[in-house]
Amino acid sequence: MRLDIIAHLQLQTKKAAEVQSRSGHDLTALGPGLGDADLYFDYLADLNDVATDVAPKNGGWLNPDDYLIRGKWKLLPWWQPPFPMAVRTDLLEQIGEKSPDTWEDWLRVGRKGKAIGHPFGTALGHSGDANVTLLSILWSYGGSYVSKDGKTITINSKETRAAMEFVKRLYSEAMDPEVVAWDDASNNRCLNAGKCIAIHNPISAYESAKKDKVVIPGSQKEIADFIDHVHTPKGPAGRKATTGFWCVGIWNFSKNVDLAKDFLRYHFQPDNQNRWVEAGHGFNMPFLTSLTKHSVYKSDRQYRFIPEVAKVTVPPSWPGPTTAASQQVWDLYIIPDMFAQYATGKMTVDQAIAWGEKEMQEIYAGRRRKP
Amino acid sequence: MNRRGRRAWRSVFTLYLPVTPFVLFALFPLYFMFVTSLKKNSELYDPTSIPFLIRRGVTFGHYQLLSGDTLFWSWFLNSLLVSLGATIVSVVLGILAAYPLARLRFPGGDSFGVAIFVTYLVPPSLLFLPLTTVVNRLGLSDSLWSLVVTYPTFLVPFCTWLLMGYFRTVPREIEECAMLDGCGRVQTMLRILLPVAVPGVICAALFAFTLSWNEFLYALVFVSPAELKTMTVGVFSELIRGDIYYWGGLMAVAFIGSLPIVIAYVFFLDYYVSGLTAGAVK
Repeated sequence: MRLDIIAHLQLQTKKAAEVQSRSGHDLTALGPGLGDADLYFDYLADLNDVATDVAPKNGGWLNPDDYLIRGKWKLLPWWQPPFPMAVRTDLLEQIGEKSPDTWEDWLRVGRKGKAIGHPFGTALGHSGDANVTLLSILWSYGGSYVSKDGKTITINSKETRAAMEFVKRLYSEAMDPEVVAWDDASNNRCLNAGKCIAIHNPISAYESAKKDKVVIPGSQKEIADFIDHVHTPKGPAGRKATTGFWCVGIWNFSKNVDLAKDFLRYHFQPDNQNRWVEAGHGFNMPFLTSLTKHSVYKSDRQYRFIPEVAKVTVPPSWPGPTTAASQQVWDLYIIPDMFAQYATGKMTVDQAIAWGEKEMQEIYAGRRRKP
Repeated sequence: MNRRGRRAWRSVFTLYLPVTPFVLFALFPLYFMFVTSLKKNSELYDPTSIPFLIRRGVTFGHYQLLSGDTLFWSWFLNSLLVSLGATIVSVVLGILAAYPLARLRFPGGDSFGVAIFVTYLVPPSLLFLPLTTVVNRLGLSDSLWSLVVTYPTFLVPFCTWLLMGYFRTVPREIEECAMLDGCGRVQTMLRILLPVAVPGVICAALFAFTLSWNEFLYALVFVSPAELKTMTVGVFSELIRGDIYYWGGLMAVAFIGSLPIVIAYVFFLDYYVSGLTAGAVK
């Protein structure tokens, strides 16, 4: 048994090479997102038997229908880092805010925070975080980009316009312009540097602040003591979020398909999953019902909302099915680009939506399978 | 003030002062990497800290992290072995290819030269997929040999092109004299041309070493085991974990990783300059 660590940004390259040469690892990480399994559908072993074995021992899969690719188990959903809102409690108190819960609340918090030099922070550039947060906002305002049939592009709607108007206000009134150039690490840095009042992010920023004993600038107080995590915000249409869906699959060209399946059965045994979640300090939440009630989420007040966020977390293509096209929309950052073009004033709202719609239609048309 | 003193003062204004900004500009990245690698994480995160100075004490924790918690020195050694191996192979092949292209006249000779240059222009991002199949069929996956074999695909064209230019600056007459004295073609190349062309060869070797040392894509695709990774890939895997970047460690790696290149260039600077310029102007 050998485990190789490959940085997540390089995984796509590695997978492409392994499929091209029909060699490499037996097991492969798939993601972020479930669409890899559609893209590599012909090269992945069926995992129906493993998924069926694993589920009952762990209270069942959270949302089993979400993970089926063309009606089959081509992957096992492995873990997700739910996206709560990380907030500086001392700054919240300073601006006289209590328990913000909706996106409008957070806009108000960001506006007040920016006035005292502590803006809100969410990426609007080419990063996974930007995809997650902007999709969360889009859904919370009732919009979506593809319908349930997985063919009809639905981005051109009044709900999308409302979401884009909100993000424009968030960008201009509550954030700094630098957010259009942010990568996945930038919001962590902004919070831990004591600058941002709040970020929409997994608990990684808090964990690293605690580990490195980062202090609030100009004081000796550890910043981790003043970070709290609350529920992902809700909008007029409800509360929804997404995240990186990290999955695992077995290449069908592997010489060890059966052994790899046995390993997955072993890894997904309740005891092993328990220990694994504990070691991850709650960052890595499995898609298994009993694991969402793991004691680690009660071990620290910071983690209390993570199971709640997981309950409203849906795949990035929601309400449409996961396909290679939806993965491409994610990988090409169409959603962040569309929002950013309007927020920064490069395009009107109609132009930005028309641009996004055209891009998505071309992607979905190009990926359409022949019957 | 005597003449020597006046000359020294003059050189301060005519040489040292004008050069200083360029030296500072060139050394700044190295300085910044070094300073950052010695800062505590709490200072690295502090937006009020001065990026170019250490104000809260020096830490060697980032270097300890590299040595204790990662396989950094294995990666460093792997990079060194692969770079040296690929450089030697490429320079030898480059000499063997450049000599006939520079000296012999044969049908299609010019086209060969252009073809070699065009080969160099094909980006590795296109080549890595077919090369993966080649590496796999050779049974070299997950071994350092896969890199020693594949790096010459971009190093040989480069070395050949550079050496062709340099060989053409060497007067043909000295080779003809050697041939009159009884040397064969190969002897002429080995005993007459190469000793004269040492600056060009060193220049090609330096470039080849630098390109191999910095290479990322092939090292990522062809080698997976942690203990066999090269420095560029190993660092990415271990010091960038999701959305957490270990800036201190990354800067420590960047600093240590720069040193072999800096040392190589310092030792061979004169050869490098003459090799590059001679090949360039002729």
